[in-house]
Amino acid sequence: MNEPPKDRIKYVQTDLHLPYHYYAGDYKALYLNALKDKKILGSKCSKTGKVFVPPVMSSPDAHAPCTEIVELPDKGIVTTFCVVNVPVFGRDLELPYVVASVALDGADISIYGLVQECKAPEVEMGMRVQAVWKPDGERLGEHTDIKYFKPTGETKAPLESFIHRL
Amino acid sequence: MKAPTSVEPMSQRMTVTFPYKHSTGEVTGRFLAGLKEQKKIWGRRIAGQGVVVPPNAYSEIDAKTGGEWVEVADQGTVTAVGVVAQPVKDLHPSTEPFAYVLVKLDGADTALAHLVLDRIDDIRVGSRVKAVWAPDEERKGTIRDIACFQLVG
Repeated sequence: MNEPPKDRIKYVQTDLHLPYHYYAGDYKALYLNALKDKKILGSKCSKTGKVFVPPVMSSPDAHAPCTEIVELPDKGIVTTFCVVNVPVFGRDLELPYVVASVALDGADISIYGLVQECKAPEVEMGMRVQAVWKPDGERLGEHTDIKYFKPTGETKAPLESFIHRL
Repeated sequence: MKAPTSVEPMSQRMTVTFPYKHSTGEVTGRFLAGLKEQKKIWGRRIAGQGVVVPPNAYSEIDAKTGGEWVEVADQGTVTAVGVVAQPVKDLHPSTEPFAYVLVKLDGADTALAHLVLDRIDDIRVGSRVKAVWAPDEERKGTIRDIACFQLVG
């Protein structure tokens, strides 16, 4: 045989593994540990008073230290969101589901979260939501300790109230 | 509250996985079938480039297609070495120290990237190495059908 086989190999599985050892740092460690107690912490800019969540050590816009840690409520507003219709490797949620940016009351930026307990088309910008936590004993100090956000049924927030907090 | 000055360090190990299924194409697909079914290493004679291993579908010089299949030896000469002294689990193909090598197989004009697992302290540019084939039942049509290369002599 002076040629390779005509019946070729059509595919190869070439999984790429990227092992990380992630160090949270002081503020993220505080934030993650507080999630175990169903508390959401942010940090306040010493210059502008803006509140960042998760907490950062210096504010990205004023470049000033954020020396004060503040506790935020677990309620807020859906600022912007995405309806996911395509299954993603490693996440077996029923399709379609909603991933949203949630601006917690008193925070100047949004955190990421799922929106559940309503149909995807019912989610809208300005919708009031509340965190649903994992039960006691199951919270490990991870962002997923907040299982998802659910609608509160309160009046939707006007765009001006959150347009700068996307 | 004032931010605490001392916080217990917190860290987590995690592995991000990208599960790629890679479509080989006509030429690479037959090259891999040659490894699996024939235990042969095939190159292609491409104008301006000589015998290219592993083979391309197109010339890198003028993008012309075509080229005659040429079998090359499963032995050759090392043209480059990179020793990985501290392999990272999951990221690297071996958990023990190993070397990445480029091997210019006898009869080929380009070098093939592969691994050397044993006697890595003795590997030099110019070293002679030969392929160690995976057993028949373990060859699946991947580049690791050649399990590794090893020093000759």
